[in-house]
Amino acid sequence: MKTAPAPTTPVRVVLVDDHKMFRTGVRAELTEVAPGLLDIVGEAADVDTAIKVVRAELPDVVLLDVHLPGGNGRGGVDVLQGCVAVDSRRGVPVRFLALSVSDAAEDVLAVIRAGSRGYVTKSITGTDLAAAIKRVADGDAVFSPRLAGFVLDAFGVAAGEIAEVDEELDRLSQREREVMRLIARGYQYKEVARELFISVKTVETHVSSVLRKLQLSSRHELTAWAMGRKLI
Amino acid sequence: MRGLPERTLGGPPKWRRPARRAVPVGETCPVPIPYAVPPTAEVADPPRMVRPAHGRVLAGVCAGLAEHLGLPVAWVRGFVAVLILAGPGVVGYILLWTLTPQEADSAAATAGQRWSLRQAGPAAMWIGIAMVAVVGATSILPRSGRGLGLLTPILILAIIAVIGLASADVAQRDRWLGRRSGWPALARLAGGLIAVVVGTVVTLSGGTSAAEAWDIVLATVVVLLGFTLLLAPWVLRLLHDVGEARTARALADERADIAAHLHDSVLQTLALIQRQAGDATRVATLARVQERELRTYLYGGGSVDQTTLSGALAEVIDEVEVAHGIPIDVVVTGDCPLDEHVQAMVRALREALLNAANHGAAPIAAYVECGPDRIEAFVRDHGPGLNLDAIPEDRLGVRESIQGRMTRVGGNAKVRRLEPGTEWTLTLPRVAAAPTGGN
Repeated sequence: MKTAPAPTTPVRVVLVDDHKMFRTGVRAELTEVAPGLLDIVGEAADVDTAIKVVRAELPDVVLLDVHLPGGNGRGGVDVLQGCVAVDSRRGVPVRFLALSVSDAAEDVLAVIRAGSRGYVTKSITGTDLAAAIKRVADGDAVFSPRLAGFVLDAFGVAAGEIAEVDEELDRLSQREREVMRLIARGYQYKEVARELFISVKTVETHVSSVLRKLQLSSRHELTAWAMGRKLI
Repeated sequence: MRGLPERTLGGPPKWRRPARRAVPVGETCPVPIPYAVPPTAEVADPPRMVRPAHGRVLAGVCAGLAEHLGLPVAWVRGFVAVLILAGPGVVGYILLWTLTPQEADSAAATAGQRWSLRQAGPAAMWIGIAMVAVVGATSILPRSGRGLGLLTPILILAIIAVIGLASADVAQRDRWLGRRSGWPALARLAGGLIAVVVGTVVTLSGGTSAAEAWDIVLATVVVLLGFTLLLAPWVLRLLHDVGEARTARALADERADIAAHLHDSVLQTLALIQRQAGDATRVATLARVQERELRTYLYGGGSVDQTTLSGALAEVIDEVEVAHGIPIDVVVTGDCPLDEHVQAMVRALREALLNAANHGAAPIAAYVECGPDRIEAFVRDHGPGLNLDAIPEDRLGVRESIQGRMTRVGGNAKVRRLEPGTEWTLTLPRVAAAPTGGN
């Protein structure tokens, strides 16, 4: 299902952020920490340019700022909706990784539900960001500790709700809960795998499954929680 | 605290696939521009009549009128003198006097905004003049007779028309009631209205039969209706204007508030950063503290609630970050009120964080989960790893301040080494609402 790129093919990345300084910084940092692995093929500063650049370049991964000018005024969500069903040159859908300074829960929820494969904050280190981009390019999900905490809270896991079958969209399974808890505790995927005696691949599967639930669940607490509470 | 979601167990999962909106390739999504405001048409200033400061005989009404109409002053003065001598012309003169601003006022008048004819436009002006003429004419007619009964409503209507037109225009262009409230003005208006009606009825019904008096009342009501019709749009616009002015003021206040806040916080921090640009740790700390502060201001919506676990945690983390200049990623799920036991746990957590900041290395992550039957907290750093036995001077401190504290409130604290770093795990069973005193 997942088509891993050949190790020699660099991941083609488009940067979307309305701050030129930030784009320059990310570009420099990514080139430094992952030389030859990432190829930044385009940049955009607003919604409309972003959609154009993505459709023209067909990148593997789009690093997407949540707050952007233009479009319908919904920033990253507009870009995601404008790029539905666009495939990269490798023939898989273009993946999006949301990047933001805002930890407002409704922003997180909006971009994830619009189709972003993950959410990281701008304070992420260059190395971690490069790893996250690679992971998203491989079709996996990227959860920051904060997003994991959000999932645990919004799915009522802290209150003791656990799905009896994995397929249940409104709740997390026991294993998914454990993975999310470890991510919230600041564990890397490989540390999570070691802790739970499972493979990194299995961890990725669990995280992707949580992402799917996050995107498809109609659990009303998700929205209610996001509206009612703003993450610190 | 979030309530438990109501859901029937075993039922089919309630979910639906969100409709994916396919956007054809080569076509961007429909993008209306959200904040495009149609340019407001600039209304050309109608010629305004003013009473000149110099060259006036009484109040400058005739001089102003003459200048405005482009007639010789003498003609106007003569005409007005005749009207005044005839009697009711006085009313017209006084009306014009009140409604026409002084020349010196006119510059400030835009801001001063009095009820005036100055922006009423030529139409209102002509109605005013017609009215003066009517007043004069009626005074010449015999006082008794039906002619007056017909003329009076016309006269009143004319007055109303002038007032209505003048004020409507002013309201539209100058938002003259952008003051605190439009209600005093409305009250004044209503008072005037009642006075007009009562006055008319009393004057005209003097010495007439009850039937005739009834006719007059009816006529007055008709006039009143006309009045309402004339004024309704104006009143509506007035209310709208007042609301708009209030919103504008609120926006301005908020902007000023934000500017003040940014000045006090962000600009000060930036100045500090520039001065200490050489000290990377200090700069990072300053930036971090400022970020947190700004984030609270932007998204927090006010002060932290000190009576809950999350509020107390936020404070502790702030404190440790500021003291050590190390960023701490904190994630809290669930929340609970801050009782004695939880307070003890927060203190133990603070010690664990300080320990991580002192002996560990960034990134430091803290995760607190407040479940229905227990609270768990994890503090993880990426340092060389804490060896309890290897650091004897810390041993007592750690034992006492973290483990001892947790044990005393019925919880426990464990520390373990990870491949990189150390992780503290603090667990506190939640006591039921009724104090059982058990530990």
